[in-house]
Amino acid sequence: MAERYDLIVIGAGPAGLAAAIYASRARIKTLVVDESVPGGQVKTTHKVSNYPGFPEDISGKELANAMAMQATRFGTRLAKAVEITSHDLSGKEKRLVLDEEEEVVAPAVIVATGAKPRELGLPGESRFKGRGISWCATCDGAYFDGKDLHVVGGGNSAVEESLFLTQFARSVTIIHQFEEFQAEPASVHEALENPKIRTLLAHEPRAFHGETTLERIEVEDLRSKERKVLPTEGVFIFVGMQPRTDILKPYVQLAPGGYVETNDSMETAVPGLYAAGDLRVKRFRQITTAVADGTIAALAAQKYLKGHK
Amino acid sequence: MSEHVKEINAAEYETEVLRSREPVVLDFYSTECPPCEALAPKFESVAEQYAGRARFVKIFRQGNRELATKLGVTGSPTLVFFKAGMEVGERMTGEEIKKTAIKAQLESMLH
Repeated sequence: MAERYDLIVIGAGPAGLAAAIYASRARIKTLVVDESVPGGQVKTTHKVSNYPGFPEDISGKELANAMAMQATRFGTRLAKAVEITSHDLSGKEKRLVLDEEEEVVAPAVIVATGAKPRELGLPGESRFKGRGISWCATCDGAYFDGKDLHVVGGGNSAVEESLFLTQFARSVTIIHQFEEFQAEPASVHEALENPKIRTLLAHEPRAFHGETTLERIEVEDLRSKERKVLPTEGVFIFVGMQPRTDILKPYVQLAPGGYVETNDSMETAVPGLYAAGDLRVKRFRQITTAVADGTIAALAAQKYLKGHK
Repeated sequence: MSEHVKEINAAEYETEVLRSREPVVLDFYSTECPPCEALAPKFESVAEQYAGRARFVKIFRQGNRELATKLGVTGSPTLVFFKAGMEVGERMTGEEIKKTAIKAQLESMLH
C-alpha cells in the first residue's frame, strides 16, 4: 500500500527544507526525500558568511542541520540517503518508489534537487577522480596535508575553498581563465594576502596526467597559447554547477543547460509539479534565493492542494 | 555499525581484504564528510542484502593514511572492490554513489 502525503519534496537543500518548513507549518502532510544527508550544496560549504541572521560565520553543515531540524519540528518526515528508483509525476496523483520498495504518493511535488559541481570534461579527469582530483574541499582537504595543490576556477567557491585548503596544503595555486577573479572582492583580497596562495591567471587546464594517481596538470596560457605541464599533488575543481534535473526530463521540456522553466509561483508546465532552487532558470543562485523559491513553491502548492481537495 | 559491516585497520587489510574468500567492498571514510554520512546507511543496507556472499569492510582514512596513499585513494568516501586479492571493477567516489550502482557492480563480480 502506497503511503499518502499532501506534498512530496525531492531534495533536502535550502529550497526543499524551506518549502517543508512552510508546508508543515500549514499542516500539510509533507515528505522530504534526499539521496544524501540534508543540506544540498550547503552541507559541504565550510563557512557561510552571507546568510542573514548569522552575524558570525556559520558552517554550512550547521546551517543545513538547523534547517532540517526546523522542518522536522513541524512534522515533516525527512527520508535521508534514499534513492528514487522510479517515478510518475505527470498525473493528478504523483507517485514515487523509494529504494525499489517503498511507494509514496501525493497530489503535489516540489522538485528541489539543486545542482552538482560541474566537471571540466578534460582528458584524465574521470580517471583521477578520487585519485588526486576532488570537488569537495570539506571532504577531502585533509588528504592533502603538506601538499602542493591546484584549484581550478575563479568564482566564490574557488577562492573561498582555496582559503580553506591552505589549512592543510603547503601551497594552493589557483588556475583561472580570466585576468581577474569573479569572486566577491572581500574573499579575493583575503586570498591574495595569503602567503600560501599563488595564482595562474589567464590559464586553463587542458588535461590531467599520471600513472595510477594524478601527478601532473597540463595548462594553456591563454595569452601566448603556450602549453605547460606542471607537477601537482592534487587538484580541486570549482567551475560552477550543473542542474540535477534528470527526474524532470520525462515531464517537462528543459531549457538550455538543463535548467527548468517555472512561472513566478514556481509551477512547471505540469499541474501540481513545482521546481525550486538552483535547478531553475534564473540569474542568481544563492542560499537566500533558494530559500525564497522554496517558500513560494510551498505557498503555491498549498493553494493548489486546496483546489484539489 | 551493523553486524554486516566490519571496521578494520591497515594491519588487517591483508587478511580481511586480500585473503578473503568472498568478494570485498572496502569503504574509505573520513570524519567531517557529509557524503560519507550519506553513504553509510546505503552501504549497510547493501551489506545486509549480500550477507554471506560478499564482505563489507570500512576503514577510517585519517587513522590509516599509508594504506590510502598506497592505494592512491585521495577522496572520501571511496569504494574499492576486490575479488581473490585483486582490485576489480570501477572505484566509486564522492556524493553520487548509488545503492543500485554498488549492487550492479557486486552482481557482475558474483557471476
